[in-house]
Amino acid sequence: MIQELLQSSPGLLNLGIFSLLAVLLLFVVLGFVTYGILSERKVMGFMQMRIGPNQVGGRWALLQTVADVLKLLIKEDTIPKVADRPLYIIAPVIAFAPAFMVLAALPFTDKFQFADMGIGLLYYIAVSGITTVGIVTAGWASNNKYALLGGMRAAAQMISYEIPLVMSVVGIVLLTGSLNLNEIVEAQKNIWYIVLQPVAFIVFLIASVAELNRVPFDLPEAESELVAGYHVEYSGFRWAMFMLSEYVYMFAMASLTTILFLGGWHPLPFLGFIPAAVWFALKFSLVIYLLIWIRVTFPRLRADQLMEFGWKVLLPVALANIFVTALLKELFSMF
Amino acid sequence: MSLSGEFLAFIVLSLVAIIGGVLLLNLTKVVHMVIALVFSFISIAGIYVLLSAEFIAAVQVLIYSGAITIIMLFGIMLTRHHDTEDIKTNTWKRLILLLAIVGFGFVVYIGIYNLDIPEKPTTLHEANTEQIGIELYSKYIIPFEVTSVILLVALVGAIILAKKDHEEEGDNS
Repeated sequence: MIQELLQSSPGLLNLGIFSLLAVLLLFVVLGFVTYGILSERKVMGFMQMRIGPNQVGGRWALLQTVADVLKLLIKEDTIPKVADRPLYIIAPVIAFAPAFMVLAALPFTDKFQFADMGIGLLYYIAVSGITTVGIVTAGWASNNKYALLGGMRAAAQMISYEIPLVMSVVGIVLLTGSLNLNEIVEAQKNIWYIVLQPVAFIVFLIASVAELNRVPFDLPEAESELVAGYHVEYSGFRWAMFMLSEYVYMFAMASLTTILFLGGWHPLPFLGFIPAAVWFALKFSLVIYLLIWIRVTFPRLRADQLMEFGWKVLLPVALANIFVTALLKELFSMF
Repeated sequence: MSLSGEFLAFIVLSLVAIIGGVLLLNLTKVVHMVIALVFSFISIAGIYVLLSAEFIAAVQVLIYSGAITIIMLFGIMLTRHHDTEDIKTNTWKRLILLLAIVGFGFVVYIGIYNLDIPEKPTTLHEANTEQIGIELYSKYIIPFEVTSVILLVALVGAIILAKKDHEEEGDNS
């Protein structure tokens, strides 16, 4: 349906349909973010033997995040006097817009997807890199030493970990022979890539946690060293935009992990009667749970350890994985 | 020319690219210039998409808007020189510049307006990632390899320079 729409001639009707679809997806994502944050707090509470939120909205605190967001929206919007005003205002937009743009390329099921691009995987990686510019801009525009340090750390970290992230998926691209996410999912019909590419999966998982700026790699916003990192000076809805982009990326990254390594919407053998969307949601929730688990379990790294780990461990491992994959593929295609 | 979606997108993207370029020249703070440059780069990537060169577009965003601008921002932020610069020009110089620009624009307009490039059907837009790969590794393998050696030399050179700095600092203290 979307393919026909993309190729039809432009008009107000098309504009309306596209806007409607975008708003629909935005609400789906906002719904995820609302309950993603709640479940993260609940799971963290459970793992740290606390109760977690249980007051607002019944026993399960179903309205906790809604209340939090409401509080953020009615908060005073502050702009520091010495801040670089235009950049300070535009930075959250630069950080958030790519987060939403990457969602367009992700195939959730064979029916529920927006743009079927030939270079879907590359598109995701390229567009998600723009967020870093927004974060660095925010750090610089705040005119605050902690914010600047946080912004610097974000830039260094995201550049360093983008490389192993890209290198780890090259193995999958080699096996599939395509950058198209639909074809990657299709190639996993019989066997998931987590079985064929276990090393790549581990490298990808670590690098994606670093890209998401989550604990153990949350140095750009390390609260015990930098107060709050690049968003120290932000408040109200501008701050909410940074948080939102962070959680939208979590949504996107978990979807991408599902698509690349867990076979997308393909069911396990003999369980094909369960609908594709449910399979995708199950695998997606598993990845989210894994991300929360990592967050609760590991202590934060030091900045130099982080760089050393990225360049001296992850990158060589990812390169070796590409080499071995290419070798094995050639050997197997020979016989 | 009828108003197709492609044409609309082209107008918007080229406007953003040109405005980004003009802002890059006219803004006074260095960091503002880099942000203007990012907008310019991204809209040029959009124009590549319109030309069905998806791979080039993604690489443009990945390398230029992602990596290079961040390294530029890094460099600018770490070197604390005075952020703003004043431009001093006199009227005569401006007038001559204006004439030169108008002349250049006129010449380019004449050159381009009646330019007729014969359109021939190509298959370049289909699976262009694969086509680029095949071309690169069959026809242009030697330039490709030489480029990688040059990049390696630059990398080693940068490491040597950085290391030297560090040792001198150690001697001073």
